[in-house]
Amino acid sequence: MRNTLPVIIAFLAGIAMVISFFFNPERTVLGTFQENLLQWVTIVGGFTLVLGVFSIVRVNARAVSRRSDGWFYKLATVISVFAMAIPSIMPTSANSAFGKVFYSIFPISWAGAFGTGPDSIYDWLFNYVDSPMMETMFATLAFYIASAAYRAFRARSAEETLLLITACLVMLWRVPIGEALLRSIDVRIPDYINMFVMNGFNLSVQRGIIIGAALGMASMSLRILLGIERTYMGKG
Amino acid sequence: MKKILRSDIIRIVTLTLFITGFFAISISAQTAEDPIFRTDRIAIFIFLLIFSSAVLLYTNWAKKGKELFVRKIPGIAAVEEAVGRATEMGKPVLFIPGIADVEDIETIAGLSILGRVAKIVAAYGTPLSVPVRYPMVLAAGQEVVEQAYLEVNHHDAYDPDTVRYVAGEQFAYTATVNGWMMREKPAANIYMGAFFAESLLLAETGNAAGAIQIAGTARPEQLPFFIAACDYTLMGEELYAASSYLSREPLLLGGLKGQDFVKLLIIIAILIGIILALFNVGGWYNDIFNVS
Amino acid sequence: MGFWDKVSNIDRRWIYLMVAVATFFPMIVVMQFPVELTPEAVQLYEAIDNLPDSSVVMLTFDYYPSAMAETRPMSIAALRHMFSKDMKVVTVSNIPLGGPTIAEDVTRSIAKEYGKEYGVDYVNLGYRANYVAVMHGLATSIESIFKADFTGTPLKDLPLMQDVKNYNDIEFIFVVADNATIDYWISIVNAQYNIPVGGGVTAVVAPKMYAFVEAKQLTGLLGGMKGAAEYERLVKISGSATRGMASQSLVHFLIIFFVIIGNVAYFVTRKHEKGQK
Repeated sequence: MRNTLPVIIAFLAGIAMVISFFFNPERTVLGTFQENLLQWVTIVGGFTLVLGVFSIVRVNARAVSRRSDGWFYKLATVISVFAMAIPSIMPTSANSAFGKVFYSIFPISWAGAFGTGPDSIYDWLFNYVDSPMMETMFATLAFYIASAAYRAFRARSAEETLLLITACLVMLWRVPIGEALLRSIDVRIPDYINMFVMNGFNLSVQRGIIIGAALGMASMSLRILLGIERTYMGKG
Repeated sequence: MKKILRSDIIRIVTLTLFITGFFAISISAQTAEDPIFRTDRIAIFIFLLIFSSAVLLYTNWAKKGKELFVRKIPGIAAVEEAVGRATEMGKPVLFIPGIADVEDIETIAGLSILGRVAKIVAAYGTPLSVPVRYPMVLAAGQEVVEQAYLEVNHHDAYDPDTVRYVAGEQFAYTATVNGWMMREKPAANIYMGAFFAESLLLAETGNAAGAIQIAGTARPEQLPFFIAACDYTLMGEELYAASSYLSREPLLLGGLKGQDFVKLLIIIAILIGIILALFNVGGWYNDIFNVS
Repeated sequence: MGFWDKVSNIDRRWIYLMVAVATFFPMIVVMQFPVELTPEAVQLYEAIDNLPDSSVVMLTFDYYPSAMAETRPMSIAALRHMFSKDMKVVTVSNIPLGGPTIAEDVTRSIAKEYGKEYGVDYVNLGYRANYVAVMHGLATSIESIFKADFTGTPLKDLPLMQDVKNYNDIEFIFVVADNATIDYWISIVNAQYNIPVGGGVTAVVAPKMYAFVEAKQLTGLLGGMKGAAEYERLVKISGSATRGMASQSLVHFLIIFFVIIGNVAYFVTRKHEKGQK
């Protein structure tokens, strides 16, 4: 039963989604399955968040208690989790039952610091700590692209040489100085790059990969629906 | 054998009920003005039937023992080699099942491959680390890895923190994993699933850490990054084929052949479309594929 | 070890340093370059421009703060274009972190410049989890998904939302995204509900989108900071994307230089190794 029940649930949920796609939601309940089931996914996802918090605290707290390498950073991680989470779930007014109890103990002037609204602790931490860190991490991509290009872009074969030249042309075309340079050689070059490289080779290759991936996705979905592929459940 | 037959009967009965019910409801309640059945989606319905039939047919042939040829995919073949290298070096294997949530089919594909990799890792006694971005993937990943250790009778070596939740934010996740890579210097990094802007950040750091790297994603926009920084890259549909390929189970390989057959049909349909368009007579043909 | 061997095995931190210099230099020595237009950007601009004045459009903020350099200028330019045509704008985000807050900050500041009133001329719906469910749900009823806007005001109290009940009341969806949500706007909202969708995406995602533009599933495309700069030129403003073009130009040239040097080093060292054999 432990093996069969999840497969049956997966089959029924999947089939419900497929059926729903072909029915008019305004005429029959069959057409609304899709929307309702997707709402359920969100609800289940909310519960599993507790698992995530439990995991992150357990792994990092253990490292802190053992004073293992970099324990200080792990402590910072645990503190950060609670520093973001606790103020955001605190009541922002005394209207709710929890709010009434909370603000009978603490001054109501604290209300503005809680929740996720403008000027709250969460908002401040997000805007001035989290957001700049995210931007910095994304910006490092430019450095990594440069080093990867330096190391990996080698004209070892005819195909690789062609790829390399095309990449350089596209890089030139995507910036104003490069585009001006290409236009100075021949005014039609930028248009040709857009027409033949981006809307030609690039487009057809992307389509090939997208069609192939979509078929792979559909095939995998079918294997899951029929219970043939069960590894993702830890079975088979 | 009896088990296979019984499950076959259940599948056939369910599908028959589904299809019969589907048409019965549709025909009885169909009106032209406000149709109950989305007639504008009939082309997709027909495609669904053809696709399902092809996959089921090939799966059935595989079950009956028909030899199916599946071309060698070097990236998948390299997985075992990479784990072997990690074992020899006494270093861990890093596996990332993508950074999307579990509702993304690429994540499911990643978890399926994780199941296969975990079995090899458990058999060799190599340390495995699976950082994840979503709690639902954590729950599924832990189940998959624990079961893999059980199946090779090494459950005592299983550590519940092998699969661990790192962070819900994309770049916090990336920073943690990159830091771990530079400290622990894993011998093999396997990235299988949905990746976004962090793909190159992960792969380039893995390269700097000296790991053998195998990646697989169905996102065309991330493929160039993985190809530049990894030793092997599975492209598009190869990701979905990897689990079947690693398992070598005829039933799963049958599904791959069915998919290839449909791809052949699509290629033929595209060629017909091109020919008709060349002679400017393809209007009615295009309409078949127009769906709203 | 010869010179070219050293070049071939250069410490990657030198590369990082040069990229940093190339990025910062144009910020100190101000440079401006004329931005040429691509047909895809013009197509998107015209799609918005050809809509009747006072049309209702949806603008999405499907991006994290990390990608703001590329995507935020697109949102700003799009809002300026829409408000200058007196369009009603409904903003939404499918990203929990950043998107709704950026939408709030950007929309309010631009709206103020054009004298637009919240609730009458524009509304920020905010974020709801599970974008697939959200996109399907908006087709039936916006209120079934968003009971209240980003600030918690019930939709029934917002005059604009009395006329905007679902996709049927929206003329165009302008998606600004740094991730896969645009795929779903195309495959769900455009393909299944027949609503015109245009897009501005990060440079990494842009090549994939050409297939959808060609198939007419995506009406126009802005790719990365260059795309944002094109839209800024079309709406006749000089924003952060136009200014960023100088840094991007230098870095692109630097990468091309790295590729050339890397290849020269590769061929010289290979020739040397062959000679030794």
